[in-house]
Amino acid sequence: MEATAKVSKKVFTCSAVDSGNAKPFKPGNAVQSLPVWDKDRCIRCGICYLYCPHGAVLREDDGYFDVDKKVCSGCGVCHRECWFGVIGMAEEE
Amino acid sequence: MDKFSLMVPNFIPSKEYVDPKHNNACIGCGVSLAVRHVGKAVEDLLSKATFERAAGDMFGVKTDAGFMRIKQGKSELIICLDDEPGASLNDVVSKKLADVAVAEGFEYVATASPSYPFDLFEKVQSALEVEGKSFIHILCPCPTAWQFSTEDAVKMGFRAVESLAFPLYEVASGYYNLTIKTLKPRALSEYISGQGRFEKVTEKQLASAAEKVEKAYAKLTEKIDGQMAYTFETTGPVY
Repeated sequence: MEATAKVSKKVFTCSAVDSGNAKPFKPGNAVQSLPVWDKDRCIRCGICYLYCPHGAVLREDDGYFDVDKKVCSGCGVCHRECWFGVIGMAEEE
Repeated sequence: MDKFSLMVPNFIPSKEYVDPKHNNACIGCGVSLAVRHVGKAVEDLLSKATFERAAGDMFGVKTDAGFMRIKQGKSELIICLDDEPGASLNDVVSKKLADVAVAEGFEYVATASPSYPFDLFEKVQSALEVEGKSFIHILCPCPTAWQFSTEDAVKMGFRAVESLAFPLYEVASGYYNLTIKTLKPRALSEYISGQGRFEKVTEKQLASAAEKVEKAYAKLTEKIDGQMAYTFETTGPVY
């Protein structure tokens, strides 16, 4: 007998692929915390820019990175992927 | 100490083709990350691309993944954005779409992951250069459906490739090429147990799934004939 996992049959609708879908999330609404860069230790490698799912990380003129607060959804991928642990997540005031 | 700059984004174009202000994806969306990098590779063609959720099947294989079609002249590119909504453990372990696409006679077939953006970028570019049909299967981690923490979205993509559940390879005119070669494979349980949807999976089921992964990977490595354009060997990031 083949082993199969017992998972719930509920199929999630995806707002990125399904057309005509209701909008479950709007970036900026669900933000709990925003990334903050420690500029003393940042080597400006750009991993945060590369892995941001929403394209919310911007490169500034001096080469450092900052977040577009209206676009960021606060997922924390940049905080997780930064090689040097430069990015912290600060709670929004 | 003087600052030095590696500047990863120098290797890919910095222009965004997905407008971030009109992106309504969920928090930590892998599909959104994949489409963002596909957009950088295909540039203006992204606005002409069509998205659809396969109703029933694709190439005769049952699937519930999203599909994206891009046409440019003679080349036609089908990209599968696979976020596995409602998939069982069996579906996760055995991915057939790329194999079937090879059998269907596609000129260029590849599997990719948004956790390896340069790899994904090069595959999409080489797919557009081919005259004829091409197919790219992208595994997109989805924190909403897979039920894991949103910050682990990229990490889950690494785990899928490193545990050999989703090896990254390309098939160009019949020749197999393993683009990302994992030297020290992880246990499958590291990938599966991180997901909330597989909380109730027993050890027996995990063991049989791991066997399937090993068999599928052994089959794949038999097909690879050493004519590699490039291979990037990795032990993976240190977590």
